Parts: sequence; structure tokens; C-alpha cells
Amino acid sequence: MSIEHATRRSFLYGLGASLGAVAFSDLLAKEQVSPPASPIESSTTQIGHHVSKAKACIFLYMAGGPSHIDTFDPKPKLDQLHMQKFVRKDKFASAMASGQRYFVKSPFKFQRAGQSGIEMCEHWKHLADMADDLCVYRGCVAESINHPTANYHMNTGNRFGGDPAFGAWVNYGLGSENDNLPGFVVMPEVAHPQGGAANWSNGFLPPSLQGTALRAKGSPILNLNPPRGVTPKHQRHNLDLLSDLNRHHAEQHPNHDQLAARMQSYELAFRMQTEVPDLLDLAQEDARTQRLYGLDEEPTAKFGRNCLLARRLVEKGVRFVQLYAAGWDSHDYIERAHAQRLRSVDKPIAGLITDLKQRGLLESTLIVWTGEFGRSPDNGQRGGGQRMGRDHNAKGMAMFLAGGGVNAGHAIGATDELGEKAVEVVHPIKDLHVTLLHLMGLDDNKLTYFHGGRFKQLSQIGGVLIPELIA
Amino acid sequence: MHFSKPMRLSWYGGLLLAQLFMASVGSVDAAGVKPSGDDLAELLFVKKVQPLFVEKCGGCHGERAKPIKGSYDMRSRATLLAGGESEEVAVVAGQPDQSPLLAAVQWINGMEMPPKENDRLTHVQIQWIRQWIAAGAPWPTADRRKQLSQQSWPETGTAGQIVKTSGGQSEQWTHRLYLDEHLWAYRSLGKPTIPTEFAAATGNGVDVFVNRKLSAAKLDSAPRADKRTLIRRATFDLTGLPPTAEEIQNFLADESPTAFAKLIDRLLESDRYGEQWGRHWLDVVRYADSAGFSNDYARPNAWRYRDYVIRAFNADKPYDQFIREQVAGDELAGDNPEHLIATGFLRMGPWEHTGMSVAAVTRQQYLDDITNIVGVTYLGQELRCAKCHDHKFDPIPTLDYYRMQAVFSPLQFADRDAAYLAVENTSAFATEKARLERLRKVDGVRGLDTVPHDQWPVDTFDADSETKGHDKVNKKREECLDRERKRYQPLALSVYSGPSRKFTSKQSIVKMPNRKQRKGKVAPIHLLLGGSIETPGVEVAPGVLSLIAGLQTELVSTSNEPVNTVEITKQTQGRRLDLANWLASPKNPLTARVMVNRIWQYHFGCAIAGNPNNFGQTGQKPSHPELLDFLARAFISSGWSIKKMHRVMMLSEVYQRSSRHPQAEQVSAVDPDNRLLTHFSPRRMTAEELRDTMLFVSQELNLEMGGLPARPMINLEAAMQPRHIMGSVGPAYQAMPTPAQRNRRTVYTQRTRTMRDPMMEVFNQPDLDLSCERRDSSTISPQVFTLFNGQNTHDRALAMADWLRQKYADVESRIDSAIELAYGRPATIAERVPCLSHYLKIVEHHRGHPPERTDLPEYVIREMVEEMTGLHFYWVEDLDVYRDYVPDLKPWDVSAETRALADICLVLLNSNEFIYVY
Repeated sequence: MSIEHATRRSFLYGLGASLGAVAFSDLLAKEQVSPPASPIESSTTQIGHHVSKAKACIFLYMAGGPSHIDTFDPKPKLDQLHMQKFVRKDKFASAMASGQRYFVKSPFKFQRAGQSGIEMCEHWKHLADMADDLCVYRGCVAESINHPTANYHMNTGNRFGGDPAFGAWVNYGLGSENDNLPGFVVMPEVAHPQGGAANWSNGFLPPSLQGTALRAKGSPILNLNPPRGVTPKHQRHNLDLLSDLNRHHAEQHPNHDQLAARMQSYELAFRMQTEVPDLLDLAQEDARTQRLYGLDEEPTAKFGRNCLLARRLVEKGVRFVQLYAAGWDSHDYIERAHAQRLRSVDKPIAGLITDLKQRGLLESTLIVWTGEFGRSPDNGQRGGGQRMGRDHNAKGMAMFLAGGGVNAGHAIGATDELGEKAVEVVHPIKDLHVTLLHLMGLDDNKLTYFHGGRFKQLSQIGGVLIPELIA
Repeated sequence: MHFSKPMRLSWYGGLLLAQLFMASVGSVDAAGVKPSGDDLAELLFVKKVQPLFVEKCGGCHGERAKPIKGSYDMRSRATLLAGGESEEVAVVAGQPDQSPLLAAVQWINGMEMPPKENDRLTHVQIQWIRQWIAAGAPWPTADRRKQLSQQSWPETGTAGQIVKTSGGQSEQWTHRLYLDEHLWAYRSLGKPTIPTEFAAATGNGVDVFVNRKLSAAKLDSAPRADKRTLIRRATFDLTGLPPTAEEIQNFLADESPTAFAKLIDRLLESDRYGEQWGRHWLDVVRYADSAGFSNDYARPNAWRYRDYVIRAFNADKPYDQFIREQVAGDELAGDNPEHLIATGFLRMGPWEHTGMSVAAVTRQQYLDDITNIVGVTYLGQELRCAKCHDHKFDPIPTLDYYRMQAVFSPLQFADRDAAYLAVENTSAFATEKARLERLRKVDGVRGLDTVPHDQWPVDTFDADSETKGHDKVNKKREECLDRERKRYQPLALSVYSGPSRKFTSKQSIVKMPNRKQRKGKVAPIHLLLGGSIETPGVEVAPGVLSLIAGLQTELVSTSNEPVNTVEITKQTQGRRLDLANWLASPKNPLTARVMVNRIWQYHFGCAIAGNPNNFGQTGQKPSHPELLDFLARAFISSGWSIKKMHRVMMLSEVYQRSSRHPQAEQVSAVDPDNRLLTHFSPRRMTAEELRDTMLFVSQELNLEMGGLPARPMINLEAAMQPRHIMGSVGPAYQAMPTPAQRNRRTVYTQRTRTMRDPMMEVFNQPDLDLSCERRDSSTISPQVFTLFNGQNTHDRALAMADWLRQKYADVESRIDSAIELAYGRPATIAERVPCLSHYLKIVEHHRGHPPERTDLPEYVIREMVEEMTGLHFYWVEDLDVYRDYVPDLKPWDVSAETRALADICLVLLNSNEFIYVY
């Protein structure tokens, strides 16, 4: 691709152009010089490859690997096997998963929630009311049992990192609806997850598609504001001088079109300085809404705040918002640890679904809740002790989807009677990616980018739809 | 065999077969029979059409389909013609335009096949199908197909040829055809002759080849750039820094015809040269000071490799030797520590092995990484494409991938003893060591109760979670300190050859085992079916890319004789040395081309072969193939001297062209990407050049070379950004305590994979995990936040203003000099006037707004979820460096006048003329 084309793409995030790859794909793939003859119709029904309900995605990422067995996938068999010992022999098992082991039953009771009767653990107090809006999926399998590689896999399709994140692909495909805001916003916990910012990388896609991390503390976007003491007026004066000098310079170089782009980027940035803080000001929300998300209490205030921000961002046309909730890596004492984690996200997520519904946004928003993998039905002896926890499990996990176009009110797929591995509607992550893209109106096979000698895609080598997840 | 329609020469645009047919007249095939038109159509089917059906359609409509999609089976002529569930005939033999199959592969009339954008047929492939249908869609018997598959096309150079490789996983792949144009990179270097009519006044070969193309395109070249532009261009190009005022004056004053040549010589002699060009190399090999993934542990001695690269460029180390040292330095004769340091190349990729990973998986991950990066770096060839299947496009069978991998099978990691060289910079050791000793003695993980209550992020916390959490965090902290402490030992991040050994990332140092333990059986390398370690296939002996293994001139299979190949020893020792010698051979068709192509790109912005990491079929073809070969030959005959290549390229008229073309409109209509080089393409400074140049014009740049990675001040919030590592969060990034330590050139600054300098990132410093063949230069609004709002630019602007204040008495001279410093030319009235009026306005503002003092924090409060309790816990991490820190000049240290002048400097550092090189 030529420099000029790369630059044209990088204008997204905001210099006017807001077309997605669907419109630009010919341009990119075939290296044509002229822009596409007929820009894609930006009708309300189709902005991607096909008509879809979801126009935005809120991706709730439970870092650490939440246990399917203790959330959405009850295993009564483990009650019988509880504390029974065995030895796992597997040449491809890590040190963590081998050696002397014992089964662990779930410390939680389960309920059948909603009319659909989806099985949910007792700590889903609020989300249980939303059961009929959920499509729980228990057939997905990851490949990696280590956090960073599994995070990369779930987020980018490539276990070893370096590739564009799901959110970058979606923005690449659909473009931005708000030229003054990044199309891919990430809200990490205060600490970044294992593997770091590569989890929201633009990879080989243009840098404008990188996930912008909205910081939980301090300046929401790095350097959004000038150093202390520089007033907007003062800054405006400096900006005016800059335009003067740049204009003078551009006269000397009339055919260098980068110059104008760079001048425009300064004006855009100046506008963003006022728009972004306004967007993030939750005081604009009424008390009822704040309570709905659990902003007024612990342990929900933190995640609730992010969920509410996610709704505000989606309302403003941000295409993809990813929220992180960490701490699901319960190797020990899962009863305390998972109960606490569940309590901290339960009400905010239920609040988010309710709020989106009230505002008529649920239909056009895809919600995804998942971790990087599931957890094992057993635990290893460590430090001579037996602690009620679970190790990593790439072969069985649980997740749920809600919102636009998903097969709500169903639990799809199943793991075996121990929860050790998926046995029904079994699909690898690449198929999940294909399906999620499909729900966003995008075709994984057509959403490609030429890099490193071939056309690359989120699923890496292509995958199949999981029709059971689609309404 | 009879077809519904006789063959004719004038098929629908059937140029290809027509050419073949004509070419075949008079030639005789193996059986001594002249091939007829029928034979050709059959041959087309066997060599082209059927493999295409298998590859592109077989997944749904052939062998690999379970079940056959749409009831359309393409495995026999009858079913292929008959069509599927639509009950419409798919192919009308002899009538391509009435055959829905042809429409489908063209993606017209509603049917789009194959459905994947990636898999769409090329124009040429569609033509094959068209011609085959037009010829009556012949489908020879199995015996006949086998017979035909051994044949080549009657004439090379037209439609394709079989090449000699170690063989694919299928007969079809082994005998598949390659278009001549896709094999250019594997052929021996041509001997381009210089056509005298284009010989330029410069007598420079570059001009000849470039001007000839221009003449063919009927385009004029831009005139020579003015001397100020030239010195700025060349100085940035070779050193990454602008020229000084004195250097500019000297160059302007030198009116001799050799002035520019003298300038180039001076720049090539500068130590700054190796820093700039070494940095290019570090992009390709993915240099970083940490290991990536969960822990992102420091690689304490990676900097020695970085400095080795810079030394190599400064010394103009012959490139073939540079290759040998990096790929097999440990196997070279003589105990040269420099050679061990050079093998850091083999360990540059991100890699870790923890208790949570599977040893077989992480080892394979390494082997795949090193196999690929060697291909990418030296051969311009992504080998990874051949890991799971024979290469889709290039003549690289999977077998070759694993042959190459087997070269690395004995490679084991080790931190090897390598005495510090006299040139290595160890000056920062003492202070850094002292700091670490200090840190080891203090309680680094304090509870919230050690800081004032009003700073607590919460009112209460769980005591149990605190105890458990602090334990883990402390353990991790000690682990990290231990690792840091060991960086002072004279060790090289290196390798040795031997049998497998256990290696975990957790150990901070893994020395080489004793001689006895280095003996033993090397782990065998198997061809992995589908690329999976769970399905090993045949054992593979070490080897090189079979296509060019013999370094032969003839790639094409003309006989069944085995290829006379370069041998790689099967012994434990010496495999990499054999590989390195093959890579560094003047007969290797790729090596020299790949390197001169890289050099060209850094000079001109666009490479001759547009993808320096991909010389295969999917890479851009060379715009000037003869020029590429001319340069590659010159490179080899110069003794692989990179500096000589700079002279050849930079002394050309082409390099010295103005970036402004008198007929810019016309030129951009014909050649929008300037591949014909009518003019010089302006470029934006790289991230490193930008930071270095700001320090240069603010008179703060410290040109000390090498040594421990420097830690400049970066965005403070990013520096404090907690990052999860196993069981803790990574330590805060703290800048070094003195300005001299911080203001080093960017190539010497610390590169942590998960903790990057945001300024570097937004200005397109590449990801540290991927080899970067060419940097992007995007324009995005976060760059504005960084450059206009960021503390770094404000600090540089203030230092620059203060220097100007000291040097000049009046504000007019200060402003004039600021402009001259930033742009390398005198200020114009059109600039002086608005700057002065801005100054007068803003100085009033500053007089009314005295700056508020802010100090660096001395600690940061951390929090994490304790996984055993599910509750948050908190600790205080000391920022020890900031207790005894010499800050940069700050607004509260200077007058309102200096602050106003700093505003002008800030604007200049943000301006377009500053950031673009013409």
C-alpha cells in the first residue's frame, strides 16, 4: 500500500472521513489510485457487509478466566467426586495442570432463571432478572492455558500477539460514527491486563484504529490537556501562530498534501479537549441511573462507572467499547474470590442491559461477556495444601451474549459431566470471532487487510458461523 | 479425445494458450511427439485448472468437503459440468460466456466464488478457466493426467514453469507452475549493462537506470534541490539529526563540485551515523530490553547487542560478516566476546516460559519464531507461511520450513560469559548498582497506613487480603531486583549448541552448562502436520531453502537430477554456521538484493521492491529490477560495504532532486506514488528523530554513546500505569535522576515491550514484537496531544528559550535564532512579524499568570485484586529516584519573558517545517 493510501485510512479518528473498510476495501486491496466511484450508502440498515442489528459492541472482559462451573454451567457430578484424588497424565499439560490432583465441587447453588430457565449461580442476583435477554454459550474452546497468550487469542485471534484487536477490526470494517472520538475505546482496570496494551492493538491496521485506553484515574486520554497553567485562550493564541507559520510553509510546498492534514489534526484535537471531559462527566446522569449501575455502593461502584460510561460512549457513536474486570484467576479459595468478583459485576451488567433497553439501544448493541478461558473441575496440590480453587482450562468455558441479533433466552452448547471439556456445539475462538463479526454486519472472510505477504483476517485462517448463537 | 468444439488459436482473448501453442511449434516433447492443441488444453487442465479447483474449491466442492456444499461436486467432469442444487448446468463446454461457473469465479451475476475475499481468483486464473472451457473442458484420464503432470509448459517465460524444490506435500504442489515474473528474486543476480544513451553526467549507475524509466514514461525530473535542503536531507538521513548552523555555513561556502561528496564522507564518519542506521536494523530484528508476555522480564544485557549493531554500522562491518556473527557468532573460530554479543539477534523475539506454559509449546513457539525471522531478516521471505502447508504462493515447501527449523534444533539459550569490551559503556553501572543495593535494603511494599489517610483510595481494607497480597508483591519485587542486579555481570544474551535443556523465564541467569552436559542427542525436528506439535510427521534433517540451495542459476526443473545442494551438517555443532555461510554467500540470490533494497528504502522512502520483508509473489515487484541487481552486484563487489552503498545512492542525481517538481500535477497523475523518482519524496521525522531533534535544538542533547538503557522522562501517567505481571504489577517507570542521563539519543532509551513511551508509539515507532520493514507516518490527533500538550515538548521549548535568552540580548534576535535553529535557515519577515506580535501579546498573559509549582510524586499507591480473597488490596510503591532528582528547567524557574519565548519555541517544534524533511 502506498503512503498516500495509508494516510487516507488514518484520517479516521477524525479528519472527516468516516467510511469503513467495506467502502474502502477495493481501494486498499487493489491499490487503486482514485477513491471508490460510489461511496457506500450509509443507510441505517446496512453499514457493513450485510444487514445487522448491532451497530456497536460492548465487550465485558473478565480477565483471569472466570469459572464456567461456578457461573453458568453447574456440575452436580462434582458433588459426588468432591476431594477425590487422581493423577492427570498429559504430555501437553503445563506444570500447573499435572501431578497429584483432586476434584472440587462448586461452592455455589444454582437457579433456573427467567422463562428460559437458564442455569445461573446464586450470585447472579440482578443478572438473573435479565436471563431471557442472555444467550449463554458453553461450547467455546480456547487453545492456550496461559493468561497473556489466551488474552491475545480472545482479543486478537492470534495467541502470540501483534495482530489487530477485535475492536480495531470492527472499526476498520464499519468506520466511525463520531469523527471527534476514537471508535475503539478500552477501559482497563487501573492495572493493565497480562499482555498489556497489545490486547487492544491496531496491529498492522492503521494506527487510528488502536484502542484508546480511557484511564480510570487521571487524564482520561494521555495529554488530553496541556500542562497546568496553560489556559484555553493561551492555547488558542499559540494555535493561531502555528496556523500562521504552517500556512506560510504550505505556500512553499503546494503539492505536499500531508501539510493540510496535519493542520487539521490540531484543530480537531483542540475541540476534543472540551468534548471528551464532557462526555465522561457522570454527574450529568440522574441519581436513579447511577443507582441502577450500582454507583452508590461497594463493590459495584467501580465497574458500574465503566458500564455507565460505556453506554454514554455508545450513545455518542463509539463503535466498540471494551471493559475489563480482573481478578477471576481463582486458583485458591474460589468461594470467596469468585463470589466477590460476581458481586462486583452483577449489578452493573444488569443495570447496563436494563438501561440500554430503556433507551432502545439494546437492539443495536452487542454485549459480550467472557474471559480468556474457563477453569478446571479439579485443583492441584500446592504447597502441601488442598485449597478449594480451580486451575486454568482451555477446553471448557462459559460466556454470554446479549443485545442485537443474538439468540436470547437460550443456553447453547455443553461441557461434559465434569465440566472438563466442551462436548456440544463445540467451536474454537475463531468461530466465535466469525460469529461476533457477523452479528456486527461483517463477514470475516471479506474483512481482510494485506500484510506480511497475505490477506489477513481476524479469524487468521477463516472460521465458521455458530448459527445457534444467532437469532 | 474429442471436444464439442475444435481448438482454435483465436480464443476469447486467449493470449496465453495462443502464445503457448505458437511457442510449441517446432519443439518436441519427451515422447518425441509435437504437442497438439488438444494436448495443450489437457496440459492446461492438469497444470493449472485442476490444481486451482482443488485449492480454491476443494474445501466445499471436492476432496476436503464434508459434505459437498450445494450438491455441487467438482471432482469429475460430469458432475462439474452438470452443476449442483440450482439444477442449472454449470459449464457449457466450449461456451465460457454461457457457463455460470465462469461468472461465479468472476463474482458477477450474483454468485461469488470462492466466497472468501482472500481466495478470489486472479485475472490470470480466470483466464485459464475460460480457455479451458472454450477448449471444450477436456478432462483426461487418470493415467494421462499423471503423464501430463510430469511435463512442463512447452516454453518458459510465458505461462509458468516447474521449479526444483525438495518437494511439496502433494504431487500437485511439487509440479505446480510459477510465472516467470514471480521467480525474479530467486534467480541469480543479473548483469545489467549500462545503456550509454542514458548515462548521466554524474556517471552514476543509479541515474542511468532511473532516468531510463523516466524517459520511457515521458516524465522530466525535478531540478537539483538547493544546498540548504540538501544538507538537511543528507544529515537527517545519515545521522537522524539536523545540521548545525556552522555545518550549513561551511557547506554553503564550499563551491567545489565535490562539496556534497565531502559532506557525505563527513557524515559517514560521524558516530551519529551508526546510531541512525543501527536503529533501522533494530526495527527489523525487533530489539527490546524485555521478554514480553506475562512477566515481561528485563533482558538485562540486551543493550550489548544494540551497541554491537551500532558499532557494526559505524565500522562498516562487511555485511556478510555481520550475518555470520549474528546467526552463528558462537560457532565462529576464536573467543571473541563481540561474536557472542552478536548472537543476541537469535534471542530478540518475545518469549517466555513459566509454570503455566507447556514446554513443548513454548519451545516450538521459539523455533517457529527464529525460523521465520531469519527468513524475513536476511532473505526477505516470510517462512511462517510454509509452517502448516506448502507455501501458497512461493516455491517454499513445508519440508523446507522444517529443514530450516532443524538448523536451530540444537540452539539453547544461555547467558554467556563475555568480558566487557573497552568500547562498551559501563559508566552508569556504579550509580545504578548503588541504587539497587539501596532498594534491596528498604521495605519496598508498604501498607496504606504509611501514608496520610486523605490519600487512601478507600476508607477500609481487608487485612487478610493485604497480608496475602503484600507477600506476593514482595516476592515479585525481589525477583525483579535480582534480575536487575545481575545485569552488571559481564554476560551476553546468547546461545550455544547442545541437547535440550530446561529453561524457564523465572531464573534470572542461566549460564552455559559444562562441556559434558553440552554433549548428547539433539532433539529431532519433525515435519508437523498442519503445523501442530500433536501430529508430528517425518523427521527432517537440517537444510536450507531447496529452491536456491544449490545457489544455482537455473531454478527450472529440466531434469530429474537431484539438486546439488549446500550441505548443513547433521552434527550438533556448526549447523548455524553452515546456514550463515549460505546466507552470506555472494551466490545467494536473495541476501544482497534484500539488503540493498532496505538501504535504498531508508534513503528514498520507498524500496525498489516495495516490501523489503517480502520478496515473494505477494510482495511488490521491483520498480527498477535492473537497478536492484546493479546495486546488489556493486554491494558484493565492494566487499559488502554498506557505506559504499550510501555513497552510490546519495551521490546520484536522483537523490539530490528537489521535492518540488515543476510539473507536479502531471507527475502525480502518471506516477502518484513517485515510484519513478521524478522528485524527492518529503518525509516526516521518525519518532526517535523527533525527540532527538527537539533535544538538539534545545541544546540539551547528550551524545554519550551506548551502555545501560537510558530512562528519559515520559508521560508521567503512562510511567505510573500499573501493568499486571504474574502475581503483581510491574514496577513504576522512573526517569533517571539527572538531565544528562535522561537526554540521551532515543536509540539508547529503554524499550520495554509492555511499557512503551507513548510519544514513540503515537509517532509510529513500530510494535516491538513484529519485524518492521517500513515505518508508517500517520497523522492522528493523539500526536497533537503528545506534541502540543505533552510535558516533554514544553520542557524542550523552555530550555530552548532559556538558551536563546542567555545568548542574545534582544527579543528580535532571539526569535530570529529560534526560527533558524528549528528550520536550518534564516527567518523571513513573514515569520518574524507574527512571532513578534504573538510574543508581545503572550508576554502580558504570562506576567499576569505566574506558574504554579508542581513536584514529582515520591510514591504511588497500587491496588490489585487478591485472587485468594477476591478483595482489593493496596500498597505503596516508593518512587525512590524522585527523592533525589534534578528536574529539567521549569516555568517557575524563569521570567515571563522566557516563558513567552518558550511559547514561540513550542509552536516552532509543532510546526510542519520542523517535522518534515524535504
